[in-house]
Amino acid sequence: MSGTALAPVRCYFEDVEMNVPLETPGVTLTRAHVALFVGVTGDATLRNPDSVPDLLPLCLSSGLGWRVPRPPLAVLAFMGFEWRFLSALSVGDTIHSVSLTVTKRNMREGGVVIEERRIVNQRGETAQAGKLTLLVARRPAP
Amino acid sequence: MVFFPSVDAVEGIFFEDLQLGQEFTSPGRTVTEADIVIFAGLSGDYNVLHTDAEHMKASIFGERIAHGLLGLSIQHGLAARGEPAAAHGLLSGLKWKFKGPIKIGDTVHVLSRIASKKEGPDAGRGLVTVERRLLNQRSEVVQEGETEHLVERRKP
Repeated sequence: MSGTALAPVRCYFEDVEMNVPLETPGVTLTRAHVALFVGVTGDATLRNPDSVPDLLPLCLSSGLGWRVPRPPLAVLAFMGFEWRFLSALSVGDTIHSVSLTVTKRNMREGGVVIEERRIVNQRGETAQAGKLTLLVARRPAP
Repeated sequence: MVFFPSVDAVEGIFFEDLQLGQEFTSPGRTVTEADIVIFAGLSGDYNVLHTDAEHMKASIFGERIAHGLLGLSIQHGLAARGEPAAAHGLLSGLKWKFKGPIKIGDTVHVLSRIASKKEGPDAGRGLVTVERRLLNQRSEVVQEGETEHLVERRKP
């Protein structure tokens, strides 16, 4: 091995572009996702075996957000969010998410980024949507 | 896994039965390293905050922390064990704040309060808002917010 370390590429506060939609790849919701999620949350109150827990698509969108044509956001903290559940999703549905930075605000330790995010099904219908507030690191001094 | 044909019908709790100001306390749950690893695998969120112990030694947290959405999801599961199904049923909206970290070994529980009851989108259902706080073993609020639920009314 050579001694060259690969510095992780990050999207810092300065790099975040406003109002540029970022679309993730899709993921098909399976019973395996539901079983793992129910196992970790302990919420067994599903309406039927093919219903998807309300919070699962949002959790999956956080990982999908890493698979866009932009380096991962240098998130220091997830501060909060507002979310609407518009229609139920089922096992077999394929979702992806579309997000857009609508606000950037300088803070002492970094910058606050407000992102609008939608979770869209295979028919292009928005199933869930909301706004997420993230604290993002500034680019470190060279 | 247990599937209920209709959770509310099993418990017989409807919109009319939930009292404004009514409070619920959930059982506690210790958040483990395994919870975080499973959640990273399931969600695909492998941010170093949750996965790189060495990197996190140098951070303000000093160690790996749970994903915010893992805390929220655990909160949801705990609430399901501490209140009538009607109060945590079908989610229609959510406002949430992440106030502090959940670290491996922390034990969290949920305090909930029925904050408002309003007309729903149709005659058969009402809209219930529940205030929720997720507390750790030192009674520090690590997450808080409110959830909106559509709850069936008692059939006339």
